[in-house]
Amino acid sequence: MAKARALVKRLKSVKNIRKITRTMELIATARFKKAMDRATEAAAYTKKISEIVADLSQVDLKFSHPLLEQRENPKKVNLLVLTSNRGLCGGYNGGVLRKAVPRLREILDNEEQELEVEVAGKRGIAFLKFQGYEFDRAYTNFEDQPKFSEVESIAQRYIDGYISGEIDRVEVAYTKFESAGKQTAMLETLLPIGDLITDGGDDEEDGRNVDYEFLPSAQEILEEIVPAAFKARLFKCFLDAAVSEQIARMVAMKGATENAGDMIRDLSRKYNRARQSQITSELSEIIGGAAALE
Amino acid sequence: MADGKLQLVLVTPEKTLLNEPADSLKFPLFDGLIGVYPSRAPMVGRLGFGELVIQSSTGEKSYFIDGGFAQVKGHVISILTNDATTLDGIDTAALKTELAELTEKSTTNDADQEAKNNRINRIQKMLKLAH
Repeated sequence: MAKARALVKRLKSVKNIRKITRTMELIATARFKKAMDRATEAAAYTKKISEIVADLSQVDLKFSHPLLEQRENPKKVNLLVLTSNRGLCGGYNGGVLRKAVPRLREILDNEEQELEVEVAGKRGIAFLKFQGYEFDRAYTNFEDQPKFSEVESIAQRYIDGYISGEIDRVEVAYTKFESAGKQTAMLETLLPIGDLITDGGDDEEDGRNVDYEFLPSAQEILEEIVPAAFKARLFKCFLDAAVSEQIARMVAMKGATENAGDMIRDLSRKYNRARQSQITSELSEIIGGAAALE
Repeated sequence: MADGKLQLVLVTPEKTLLNEPADSLKFPLFDGLIGVYPSRAPMVGRLGFGELVIQSSTGEKSYFIDGGFAQVKGHVISILTNDATTLDGIDTAALKTELAELTEKSTTNDADQEAKNNRINRIQKMLKLAH
């Protein structure tokens, strides 16, 4: 009976695991929908900002702002790595860290550059600690619904640092959400801001130039809007990361549930075989015993 | 505009709070209040902090807005602000404790002092509006 018992035990535990992964999949699906809705709603803000920037660019105005300034030979680089707080999400964290670590090493090897690393998410923190990399700041307060106020305080620190010259470059390693079927881990340079006008900003719906009245002046609006655009962009990174995490978890858990199903089928077949052969051997023993008595 | 109405779009970085027709608006620009009626000339303005009052067929609505931009284009007025709360949603108790903490806090340089003053002004304005 020993083998059949062991199989029953395994079967039970696999069934339990399947229940857990199935639930996690459902939760991730619900969270993904919520995070997705938030990301779509937040896109409206970014779009409006780009629209105003596009309008500003029609005015004869020199786009000069400290945040737009490209610095030659950046000395102090700030690398922000966005990972998740929880595991069981497939290759999500691995993907981000695979992008971040080579860059980290590259800057560390370059003696002219100084590096400041910031990590969001327990997974990334644990990984970097294990690998022996040092980091300057760690955040664990970002879950599936990052708040703008929290991101804003980080963004403000970058802006102040960049303007005062303490930071020459800000890079973010995160998972970009492209569509529900495709998310790519990538490294993006957020500061200096390369191009202000991004996706879908200047949709020329009417094609005519509107003659705006700028209060107080186009230049001052620009001075305000550049930091706002940067904040919105950083916020988008966090939102993208949150959405991608939920998708990754959803996919991973779906796979896990399916695999558990396969295992259950396999194990129950083995169990039935074991049970049958046991019965057969018992029967033959009885028959053998009876035959010996005759 | 043909229907003589403004279309108000109130967006914060987190979500679009309002997208509805309005008769008139009143909100703070960087240097004082501005009123907007339908058919206003196109404008882009920097916002200050204070009360946004929306007059529409359903009545009057008020929000506290904190900085950002306003854009008038045709009959659409977009208000982009960092933070918008309804006046009922203002947590006066929390603000009062923050105000007390801020007044206690001493600053060492001009920038901090300015940030502190700004924040105090904002809180005082919010408290005033909440009543």
